[in-house]
Amino acid sequence: MSLIENLKSYSDKLEVTAERKEILNSFLTHGFPTTKDEEWKYTSLKKIVSNEYAIENTGEIIDSSTIEKYSLGFDNKIIFSDGKLINTPEIKGVSISSFSNFESATTDSISQLNKALAQNGFTITVNKNTVVENPIEILFFATTKDNFSQYRNLISVGDNAEVKFVERIQNLNDSASMVNHFTQIHCDKNTKVEYNKIQNNTAESRLIDTVNVYQEQDSTCAINTLIFGGSFTRNNLNFEQNGSNCESNMNGISILDDNQLADNHTFVDHKSAHCGSNEMYKGVYLGRSKGVFNGKIMVRPDAQKIDAFQSNNNLLLSENSTIDSKPQLEIYADDVKCSHGCTIGQLDEKALFYMRSRGIGLEEAKAVLTYAFASEAIENISVEEVKLLAQKLLSQKLNVDLDFSL
Amino acid sequence: MLQIKNLKAGIEDNQILKGINLEVKAGEVHAIMGPNGSGKSTLSAVIAGNEDYEVEGGNITFNGEDLLELNPEERAHNGVFLSFQYPVEIPGISVSNFIKTSISEKRKAQGLDPIPTKDLLKMMREKMELLNIKKGYLSRNMNEGFSGGEKKRNEIFQMAMLEPKLAILDETDSGLDIDALRIVANGVNKLKSADNATIVITHYQRLLDYIVPDFVHVLYNGRIIKSGGAELAHKLEEKGYDWITKEADKQ
Repeated sequence: MSLIENLKSYSDKLEVTAERKEILNSFLTHGFPTTKDEEWKYTSLKKIVSNEYAIENTGEIIDSSTIEKYSLGFDNKIIFSDGKLINTPEIKGVSISSFSNFESATTDSISQLNKALAQNGFTITVNKNTVVENPIEILFFATTKDNFSQYRNLISVGDNAEVKFVERIQNLNDSASMVNHFTQIHCDKNTKVEYNKIQNNTAESRLIDTVNVYQEQDSTCAINTLIFGGSFTRNNLNFEQNGSNCESNMNGISILDDNQLADNHTFVDHKSAHCGSNEMYKGVYLGRSKGVFNGKIMVRPDAQKIDAFQSNNNLLLSENSTIDSKPQLEIYADDVKCSHGCTIGQLDEKALFYMRSRGIGLEEAKAVLTYAFASEAIENISVEEVKLLAQKLLSQKLNVDLDFSL
Repeated sequence: MLQIKNLKAGIEDNQILKGINLEVKAGEVHAIMGPNGSGKSTLSAVIAGNEDYEVEGGNITFNGEDLLELNPEERAHNGVFLSFQYPVEIPGISVSNFIKTSISEKRKAQGLDPIPTKDLLKMMREKMELLNIKKGYLSRNMNEGFSGGEKKRNEIFQMAMLEPKLAILDETDSGLDIDALRIVANGVNKLKSADNATIVITHYQRLLDYIVPDFVHVLYNGRIIKSGGAELAHKLEEKGYDWITKEADKQ
């Protein structure tokens, strides 16, 4: 049974509002997007929607040692186990509760499916003028085998507030579970928000993750995406700037091996003047892995004095790895600075010989150069624990012992 | 220490070294001079193990071992060091991390534990003082945005940290002003001992005023056509290369 048939039989017994039912029916009529769909041209869902999933959770209770294993050790932990919110921290000026059925402007079919089916997720409100010192760690655990789950999350950050998040989605068995994750972030005036996504799931795991960020004037929001694990990862990252002097920052690292696929789709909608966006995505591809990058920047007619920068740099370290990279600039204002660059290459032979002549073995030299290549995107992450984890995962993936503690 | 016998090497089908013979003993300083295109840099690249060059004949032994059988990193572990004419920029890796990696790889190959960070930093400070290198330099990215002089000084700094048995300085003087030249030469001289040897490859006599060689060799058209003492370098400075090369061309 394919996932779509799976969903059809599930919908028959599903008791939700008429509106949700309608959205679901519309999805079931059209089905999952195919490679004929422009937004899915290089990333085929065919394989991952051809098998049957468990749509309802039959979760087991997880113990504290499991949590510790995957946590970066922050005090503020929000923990989900098979959809159920099992832990929320007490933070002054912050209210945290479970799923709420909020509206979203996104109309793509995967997000619509999320809207129709989601019953789990978090709702976080950071009060005005609140500076949350320690990052809030959000852990989503799955114990149900071959599970297809939806999370729907909402973050509202009040004027002048500052907050950082570290998110991790973790499958606790080696089955081919899939998560359709949706997060909406509202950054009010003069806020500073950083959201770090650690995507290092088990080998067969599948993830479609959509984040929509709405920014008001003088706000800065950074989303950092670190992809190391999982067999299929699609990130849709959409920024909408609705006030002047906003800054939207994106840093991404994909280090892939075997048959892994990672697709980063970004969209920055510059709707106001005097704003900036900075996008830096680095990809390292080993084995038969495949990368996709699609970066769209839209500058609306009234959005003058925009400074938009985008780069996507890729290293193909094996014969059979591939990358499809597509920048898309749509500029309707005349006084803007927009630049984009994309590189695809191999390691520099001259640099390799230089390092070897200093006694650094070939494999180590390759790893050091690869690390150096990727590190630029890691440098911009402000949460030290995330940075260290990225360095650790990078050296693990490259199979070397890099010690950069000096 | 180093014996080169009838070494023939080139790049693709182009033979550049046409039978080099050279012996370097511990404690000695050799200068290799010669006009452009004579094969000076090829010789240093072949000794260091650059795989772009193909060895067509002859052999190189280093402390009794067949050097040509070893890969570049193994040569470095055995004590060969090449100061590059054009040091490579490596963005994203700081000078200190680069040197740390390089030293721990060498120690690993020798079966030694990594050097404690405290000791390493102490050693770095000493060598930096020797070469008049300012603080803050260690955290800069390897050669990135360095001036020509800074790059060369960085080469000698690595040499000082790695303590090689044989150091080959390929055109280390090019791109250096006279003050930087003095500092670099002074560093090289201080690192000299009865156990190590240096090969200085240069165009100009200038560097040899500061690093005084025991032997001077003139490389021309892939062969050493004349060898002598330090006075040969002075003679070359005065008379140029023509008086030797003409003779060689005749033969």
